Amino acid sequence: MIYMPKSPEFIKEYRLLFYTIFVLFYLIFSSNTSWAQNSFTLSGYIKDSTTGETLIGATIRVKDAANGAATNVYGFFSLTLPQGNYELICSYLGYQSKTIKLVLTKNTSINLGLAPQGIKSKEVVITGEREDKNVRSTEMGRIELSGEKIKSLPVIFGEPDVLKAITLLPGIKSGGEASTGFYVRGGGPDQNLILMDEAVVYNPSHLFGFLSVFNSDAVKNIDIIKGGMPANYGGRLSSILNVNMREGNNQNFNYGGGIGLISSRLTAEGPLQKGKSSFLISGRRTYIDVLAKPFLPDRIKGNSYYFYDLNLKANFILGDKDRLFVSGYFGRDILDFQSPINKGVNFNFGWGNSTATLRWNHLFNSRLFCNTSVIFNRYDLFNDFTFGSGGFSVRSSLEDWNLKSDFSWFVSENHVVKFGLNYTFHTFQPGILSGSVGSTNIAQTITKQYAHEFAVYLMDEWKINRRWAVNYGLRAVAFNLVGPYTQLIYDNDTQTPTGNSKSWSTGESIAFYPRLEPRFSANYLINAESSIKASYTQTYQFLHLATSSGAQFPIDLWVPSSRLIKPQLAFQYALGYFRNFKQNSYESSAEIYYKPMLNQIEFKPGANLFFNQNLENEMVFGNGLSYGLELFIKKKSGRLNGWFGYTWSKTTRQFDELNDGKVYFYRYDRTHDMSLLLSYTINKKWSANFVFVYGTGNATTLPDSRYAYRFGYDAKEQEPKLTFIDKYSAVNSFRLPAYHRADISFSYLHKKTEKWESSWNFSIYNIYNRANPYFIYFFADTETMTVKAFMVYLFPIVPSVMWNFKF
Amino acid sequence: MTNYKYKAIPGLALLFLFSCEKEININVPPSKEEIVVEASINQMFASLNYVIISKTVDYFKPDLSMNGFGGAKVYITEGVINGSDTVFDSANRQQFIDLLDSILPGIYVNPFFMGKAAKPYLLEIELKDGRKVNGKTFIPTPAVFDSLHFWFEQSGKDTNAFFYLQWMDGPEQNNYRMAIWNNIDSNLTGWGIADRFYTFDDQLLNNQKRPFQSFNPYKYGDTLNIYLSQIGRKEFIFWDSFRNAANNGGPFATPVAVKSNINGAIGSFTGYGIAFKQLILR
Repeated sequence: MIYMPKSPEFIKEYRLLFYTIFVLFYLIFSSNTSWAQNSFTLSGYIKDSTTGETLIGATIRVKDAANGAATNVYGFFSLTLPQGNYELICSYLGYQSKTIKLVLTKNTSINLGLAPQGIKSKEVVITGEREDKNVRSTEMGRIELSGEKIKSLPVIFGEPDVLKAITLLPGIKSGGEASTGFYVRGGGPDQNLILMDEAVVYNPSHLFGFLSVFNSDAVKNIDIIKGGMPANYGGRLSSILNVNMREGNNQNFNYGGGIGLISSRLTAEGPLQKGKSSFLISGRRTYIDVLAKPFLPDRIKGNSYYFYDLNLKANFILGDKDRLFVSGYFGRDILDFQSPINKGVNFNFGWGNSTATLRWNHLFNSRLFCNTSVIFNRYDLFNDFTFGSGGFSVRSSLEDWNLKSDFSWFVSENHVVKFGLNYTFHTFQPGILSGSVGSTNIAQTITKQYAHEFAVYLMDEWKINRRWAVNYGLRAVAFNLVGPYTQLIYDNDTQTPTGNSKSWSTGESIAFYPRLEPRFSANYLINAESSIKASYTQTYQFLHLATSSGAQFPIDLWVPSSRLIKPQLAFQYALGYFRNFKQNSYESSAEIYYKPMLNQIEFKPGANLFFNQNLENEMVFGNGLSYGLELFIKKKSGRLNGWFGYTWSKTTRQFDELNDGKVYFYRYDRTHDMSLLLSYTINKKWSANFVFVYGTGNATTLPDSRYAYRFGYDAKEQEPKLTFIDKYSAVNSFRLPAYHRADISFSYLHKKTEKWESSWNFSIYNIYNRANPYFIYFFADTETMTVKAFMVYLFPIVPSVMWNFKF
Repeated sequence: MTNYKYKAIPGLALLFLFSCEKEININVPPSKEEIVVEASINQMFASLNYVIISKTVDYFKPDLSMNGFGGAKVYITEGVINGSDTVFDSANRQQFIDLLDSILPGIYVNPFFMGKAAKPYLLEIELKDGRKVNGKTFIPTPAVFDSLHFWFEQSGKDTNAFFYLQWMDGPEQNNYRMAIWNNIDSNLTGWGIADRFYTFDDQLLNNQKRPFQSFNPYKYGDTLNIYLSQIGRKEFIFWDSFRNAANNGGPFATPVAVKSNINGAIGSFTGYGIAFKQLILR
């Protein structure tokens, strides 16, 4: 039996799908320019001429005209133009622009190489032109950062970090210094879909949240979409973070790396067949354990912590029309603890992600590009605890098999149609406990869960005329939680199993949620330097992170939507003004957004999330709302460049079972949030970066009263012995002090020859030693009979150094 | 010296390599006063039969006393279970008296009261100002110890001692609260005098031998009084949430709501089916 909602909305949604497809095809086929007999297509790839790496988002456009195209994530572009003579400008930030002259009389394929700035190239004409995508595209709330930019930012312990870098962007808030979690326009950290070469990374953190799993040496670029999500993306309410790995140099062998205070990196790359295939292997490992071991006393020598990452990638050009990419990530954190006072008591804890992606690019013709991917990803953790009379072992995992196909059909100069499908099979293994104590064996398993997640989408990027462009589309999604599954029935009052259960056979539907997600964005070009954009996005989320804390932990479980847990839903409305200055060397924008969120999940205060067969009983469901204004100005080039972002926002939650049903501030509600990044090239050897961030303090719940309990009378001391318990009232009604700090870094290019390059990076984190709040605790001072509050702050001023090399 | 267990600060050692702290001032608005009841009965120890009535106070009030309510009328009635009905006859009602009113008000005892295993009990309280509180509990059948042994390990100059305890978890034993008092050969005067507390149920291990091993060491020569108690499910939920609340703190702390099982007040009326063992570690 299939459990399906039978509301009239359900029927209405599918009627909407039909209408959308009809309208889309009508618009495409009725377009005057679409099928012009004398139009031809110029298509191909744009690459880095020195390494052969494809460039994502590079532009090619007709000189002194608005016609143009940008490369997709695989470096491919397609541009349809009427027959004629053209002067085309190909450009990419950080690279020398190139002008080519072309007589277009037939469909033409061309591969273009751009040289990085600083590399002398005879064939290059430096045009001084810069891309104006900020103004002309229909995209809103989408920002890209290159791997090189991320590496140049000031960082703590000399570790460049992708997830810390994106929190410098407006609308993206950091979870704090000890957290790689980020919060986008009022959403929680689990509402961000983090993809590494299209594979989902469920836990993106190392070192309990201090660092992210992304090794900056292996990252080509990142691309975050925080609003105006086009129909080819979905699965999370708030944002999509694409982390694209480098492909490796297909011209020459290169080796590089870095030695830092807590970890080192090493990367090898090169051609498998020059110009046609390449590989990249990049590894990173911390060595706190190795360095500390000689200094530890014998009794705790067995204790250690380390993490490692390994990124692998190979790509093969199989011909003019086919390319194959194979990539993988393997990372793990390992914590070993041996009790110094209790021999034989050992605790081993490990967790990590594994991903594997196989991608096949196929060009059906110069106008139809397709990528098909098969992706596997797994997040798992183990927890072994041994002691004299026995031991326990706990295992849990989440595993996905994913097949997706994305088509880009460059129909005409004015229409780019994208369509595709995405199927994922999820396997949730919340926990297996096994072990023994004395003569007693223990074996418990929390029932596995299986789910199918399916999506199809269709969208059209339509340039209506010189001023108007729209991107409209529809994403149809379905989530089906299936058997085999046995649900134990619990008594609501006592929270104990009643002895009854309900079972579903293999493949039988337990909960089925078909949904539609309409997407729309529009751009009205006021003039060559300014435009107004608007967007509407509707997104559903079927996977939810079970965490009761503001931070993300390795033991946090992902749980699927079920009969009780409805899919989360968000609507986002955004309106923005975009303006470029000085021949596009300055970009600026002002965006307002309004984002209601339904079916949000929280846990009851003090919920037991560990190894709980009845986890759903610990959840409560409510709604959220976020709205705000984001201002952004960026100087893209020159010796001094950087950006300034400011956000004013308000984010609230309302749950019937929390805070007496009253609306309360979300923990990461931040009225004011700003970031300033300045990069300055001092001379050929030295460059400097400066970062300043400011954010209103987090909302937090503090006790308003207390009581004495668990009475005992100490006859020796002749006084009572009591335990004090805090009592909380209003949720998140208190504000922590504001967060702000400034960091600075200097890079020194020590030596650069054709065969060897080495540089130093010196960073000072928190230069004015700001005590930023991490958490507050209370202490009962029995001498003065008072309760005192203490604020703990994590990082004072922290200098660090890293040496990077390449040969 | 009064030992006020207030806030544990768990966390990762790494955090504290870098972290610092400073005292801050916080303004919390006045709170609404609520009644707090701690009621305990059992079938074995008279010193653990008591009812304590107190109240909540503003968080930063410079007062760390118990804030007990004196002068209340407190009654406990033993009931009878007839099939699915529980009957409380007022003839079985026993009054608890605030004997220490002038020294430590709010502690109500009855030296002649002793609970019985497998019996239900009703608690009724009426404060001087007329406010009423009531609650019910049940004293479950105690567990039966099966085996107990201990061993020593040398750690520097100290000789650490550990013990292993086993009992039979039967159909009537479901929810446990264990208290261990490391002291001279005498009984608890109020549960709070114990050194270590544990709450656990039998959802992982049911109807078989149940092991317990101490991980934190004792010292050679210590005398341990081990109170292994059976409690009802609602009482277990209270004490489990109480344990979370008492140990809540640090960077990842979340507000914990203690889940009371009495009406009109915060707190618990707990019937303990106690199994007791004394262990001398030498």
